Amino acid sequence: MTQNYRLDNIGLINRDKKISFKFNGVTYFGYEGDTLASALIANGIHLIGRSFKYHRPRGFFGAGVDEPYAIVQLYRNNETEPNIKTTEQELFEGLEATSVNCWPSVNFDIGAINNFLKIFLPAGFYYKTFMWPKSFWYKIYEPFIRKAAGLGVASIEHDKERYEHKYEYCDLLIAGSGPSGLASAYAAAKNGARVILAEDKPRFGGTLLTSEVNIGNQTGKEWAENIISELKEMPNVIVKNRSQVFGYYDHNMLVMSEKLSDHLPKTKKYNPKQRLWYIRAKEVLISSGSIERPLVFGNNDTPGVMLSSAAKEYLKVYGVLVGKKPLIFTNNDSGYETAIEFKKNGVDPIILDTRKEPKSEIIDEAKKLDIQIKFSHVVVAAKGYKKVKSAEVAKISDDKNELGTLENINCDCICVSGFWTPTIHLASQSGNKTIFNKDIDAFVPGLSKQNETTLGAANGTFTLEETLKNSFDSGYELSKKITNNDNKTSSPIVMEKKSTTHDKFWCVPLPKGKTYKRFLDFQNDVAVSDIEIALKEGYRSIEHVKRYTTLGMATDQGKTSNLNGLQLVSNIENKIVPEVGHTTFRPPYTPVTIGTIVGREIGKHSKPTRKSPMHSWHEKNNAVFVDAGVWLRPRYYKIGEETLFEGSKREAKNVRANVGVCDVTTLGKIDIKGPDAAELLNRVYTNAWLKLPVGKARYGVMLREDGIVMDDGTTTRISENHYHMTTTTAQAANVLSHLEYYLQVVWPELNVNVVSTTEQWAGAAIAGPKSRDLLQKLFPNIDTSNDGLPFMGYLEAELFGVHARIFRISFSGELAYEVNVESDNGNFMWEKIMEIGKEFEIQPYGTEALSTLRIEMGHIAGSELDGRTIPYDNSLEGLVSKKKDFIGKRSLGRKAFVAEDRQKVVGVVPIDKKTSIPEGSHLVKDAKAQIPNPKLGYISASCWSVEYDNPFSLAIIKDGKNMIGQKLFAMSPLKNKTIPVEIVSSHYVDPKGERVRS
Amino acid sequence: MRSQNEFSYGGDATVKRPELNKEVSDKDWDNFVYNRKSLRGKHKELWQHISGCRQWIKVERDTATHEIFKTVKAHEDI
Amino acid sequence: MSSISALRDAHIKGLFGDHEGKNESELLRISELKDFLIVQIVKYKKSSITNKDIKIDNLNLNDETLTVHCNSKTRILWNGPNNWLLISINKEVLKEINEKLKETDFAITNLSHSRTIIQIEGKNTKEILKKGCPYNFNELKNNNCLNSVYNGMSVTIDMLEDKPDKIRIFTLRSFGESLYHSITDACLEYGYKNV
Repeated sequence: MTQNYRLDNIGLINRDKKISFKFNGVTYFGYEGDTLASALIANGIHLIGRSFKYHRPRGFFGAGVDEPYAIVQLYRNNETEPNIKTTEQELFEGLEATSVNCWPSVNFDIGAINNFLKIFLPAGFYYKTFMWPKSFWYKIYEPFIRKAAGLGVASIEHDKERYEHKYEYCDLLIAGSGPSGLASAYAAAKNGARVILAEDKPRFGGTLLTSEVNIGNQTGKEWAENIISELKEMPNVIVKNRSQVFGYYDHNMLVMSEKLSDHLPKTKKYNPKQRLWYIRAKEVLISSGSIERPLVFGNNDTPGVMLSSAAKEYLKVYGVLVGKKPLIFTNNDSGYETAIEFKKNGVDPIILDTRKEPKSEIIDEAKKLDIQIKFSHVVVAAKGYKKVKSAEVAKISDDKNELGTLENINCDCICVSGFWTPTIHLASQSGNKTIFNKDIDAFVPGLSKQNETTLGAANGTFTLEETLKNSFDSGYELSKKITNNDNKTSSPIVMEKKSTTHDKFWCVPLPKGKTYKRFLDFQNDVAVSDIEIALKEGYRSIEHVKRYTTLGMATDQGKTSNLNGLQLVSNIENKIVPEVGHTTFRPPYTPVTIGTIVGREIGKHSKPTRKSPMHSWHEKNNAVFVDAGVWLRPRYYKIGEETLFEGSKREAKNVRANVGVCDVTTLGKIDIKGPDAAELLNRVYTNAWLKLPVGKARYGVMLREDGIVMDDGTTTRISENHYHMTTTTAQAANVLSHLEYYLQVVWPELNVNVVSTTEQWAGAAIAGPKSRDLLQKLFPNIDTSNDGLPFMGYLEAELFGVHARIFRISFSGELAYEVNVESDNGNFMWEKIMEIGKEFEIQPYGTEALSTLRIEMGHIAGSELDGRTIPYDNSLEGLVSKKKDFIGKRSLGRKAFVAEDRQKVVGVVPIDKKTSIPEGSHLVKDAKAQIPNPKLGYISASCWSVEYDNPFSLAIIKDGKNMIGQKLFAMSPLKNKTIPVEIVSSHYVDPKGERVRS
Repeated sequence: MRSQNEFSYGGDATVKRPELNKEVSDKDWDNFVYNRKSLRGKHKELWQHISGCRQWIKVERDTATHEIFKTVKAHEDI
Repeated sequence: MSSISALRDAHIKGLFGDHEGKNESELLRISELKDFLIVQIVKYKKSSITNKDIKIDNLNLNDETLTVHCNSKTRILWNGPNNWLLISINKEVLKEINEKLKETDFAITNLSHSRTIIQIEGKNTKEILKKGCPYNFNELKNNNCLNSVYNGMSVTIDMLEDKPDKIRIFTLRSFGESLYHSITDACLEYGYKNV
């Protein structure tokens, strides 16, 4: 197909590079520099998709970010993306795209039946229908809505592209490279400021690319090109195209999405497809321009109705005619510019101006070119279903209420111009309290909350002269504030045509007897009648009207519909627009891909991982790992085909029978030094610490101020004022912050230093009846007998030339020791333990076996210290000093904490000695009782007791001390289990704790 | 000025912990442990620079606008 | 006796990323630093010693925030008020520390095994840091140091030289492989050489 609507000698595209692409399976040609939209229009394609609700034919409306409906399903490099705006997607060789929301094809779409049912599908129908009968929801309504909903199709393939992040700082961030952005960037950069200039489109210059203006002795376009070249050479300037500043956050931080590769058929290897910039700027200049406002009339959603500035952009930038018989419908002078461009390029436009007798230089120029103009005229309705074929027009009375006789004008496109809506999104997001400017009938930024300034059209300044002057001044003033330099750049002379005021009129009334649909939101099919219904039904707040009608809630986020909607609401309510207010602007300005937001935190690296120094040994020995926070810990070491249950049982049994070794590096270690170290311990632990001898360890319990147990561990006195505290893996960071808090904020008079040494030492727990023998062989030169190294003792020694610390402490309840060596030697230590332990039948054991051992011993751990239990509940009341004050003591006196029937930890055994009890099961007296069944307690931890070869659990139960011997039921509704159980002592194995002391 | 993700929030800075070993009424203790005002506006609070110097600091921040007014060291008054 | 550094299994020598067609001097150079002495030195609040009076390996303990006092072997990083991290390739300095800094005035803690140290050199070094850390690296100069986060991991950053930039980044030993992955991943678009 030839490009029938392409002109030969106008446009900024590269005619040397022809590009082939496919739309709905048909191949077309365009040029490098085209967007998919401009290439399609050049080829005479005007039907792009179907609207969301009514499936009405949709075409191109805009030329950029304001496009409300020309979206497609894009295919690129074997991947697909939905809802891509054809007006933003640059053409690349091999691009493929298909229409969305239509079946079987965009030309013949069955969904269009909705169009004929539209009287039954007004706004708010989602809320009123599909409600009854309730049972129909899941089987009938929901699947139907699911099929009918949505535009494009999301890919279910893994996204193979790279997305990166970057943090950057600058003095001035300038959003937009139109005249105001270029001028302020230049002035600031020349004055020594660090500038980032961000432009959403591939080309810099904004409106200077399409307006007939002169700056100094250059055209606007030439001036823009020269400024950009100079800026690119300056070392203090970063110039970025294809980069959109889409969000403004606190403390002047903004986010920008840089599209590096969307315009290429394939992303270059090692390059990201898109990059998210977090930019912290001292000052922000918002030069985001403005978006043309549509005029509202009957069937104004017909393909061929588009913004007149878009028609002008297609012509001047892409060399494409949007029509050969254009009708320009305008309420201001901007429409004339488009008409003049058509005329200069061999096409005869007709202008319909709503105004009666406007006079200006630009209107004169149009008249001089013999362009036909009808004043006080309006388009009443567009005619044609899949494409504009003609316009029904009429004269309109001065008060805009009465229409004259209807007549038909043949045309193939209607270019509308309803004046301009400043793009105030970023300003509003920054907290700026926008105000309504009566002169332009739109909102502009008002009082700034943060360091931001809006310039140019975004601020309601529509003359180039004033824009440039303000921008050069701002760039200079702001940069001077920051750099203290004083190089001022003067604003050049500007030649532009002066224009006159616009008409305060946007919505053409319906002629008598006609029920044309007049659309406000083209993507969500929200019409004037829908707003009227919402207001009739009592919705007053614009936020409610928006959500009830879905006005402005489509992928274009209401850029061409919000203000007209607002105007309509205020007209009907007889309020002024600022009283109605506008809905809150929230980032992103346009849709941003999830990939951009996620960056490189994907898959295995979505969070950091911590590995012990012995990790590669564990890997090589078939360890199956488990996540313990961000640590990877061996859960068990798999032999052959054994399951987790079999493996952990084997390991635990071996510990009880022989000896096992467990990697305990992950447990928190805190080095505490200082003359007041003992005093600190005495204040944070419940038991007494002032008299702990050097070379001895003690078990300690730490409470929160509310009396709840926070953590437990053993602390060893290494030397007089030097202690080594251990914590659980999970609480290591919290305990350190806890100690630092008390030392810095509450008791700054204490002279103590605390620092984490978790990483300095690798730790191995050697446990089992043969552990002493093994230890003696590992350290032949020290006395490891019961007298030489008693329970809770500490020694330092050399492990075959490597400095080691030995603590006789036990988590498993067996005779056990923990050996620490400095981390680089961790692997050496572990291999020595395994080598020398061979004769004692040593096996490594993981967290699952470790759990089994401590559970059947009744040793409490994280599952009991769940933020709800006090020392008594955990059978630790013996450790609570009655003599001294400590953190949490005062709270222990609370009535509930000293109640006679207070909860306590107990052991639970299934009566059949076979059924494992799921953790979290509830303990009740009578399984068959009516709901609510009084819950007596819950199972906190379960294991398979290797000592007794039956299931065993720990539970926290009310009146625990009196429950031993009771027969209850453990109920797990999640696992559908009800198990008869007996309550026993939590110290199932070795109740007197003889093994650790042996 | 540093990025917020280097810090960890640590509670109301105006709450003073009663002295150890001194008598405290139930009411005063409950106020210390549990009761806090949930202010909209200027709030004096504690933060720890956990990924920085590990120092606790007191910050006066507006809870609605996030504007920061003052920061002082942990043991100073705000 | 085999001591194993944090990145022994992860750091493999060679050229990676977008290195083809580039002069080696254009590439970033990544290395793991091992066998350093790392000591935390904290002066107690009640101590009456003035920092000016102390010299370790001929270097002062300084009070300027974010600065490093250094010579060719030893670097003393400001880590907080009265809190320093001493990094040295000369292990003997530990003896000098223990002799000169009394237990009553200072808390000395050996942290030599607790860190993974990655060194990055090359003109794009700061770009690598900008990809994961929110600090303003435009202001980082020679012999500046700071603590911050990189992709969620707490790190210490020490800038040694510029032209081209040479920066060391420290993290907890266990995070070593994760940090290494993040750093080298960030280097792919520039091309890097593992030395």
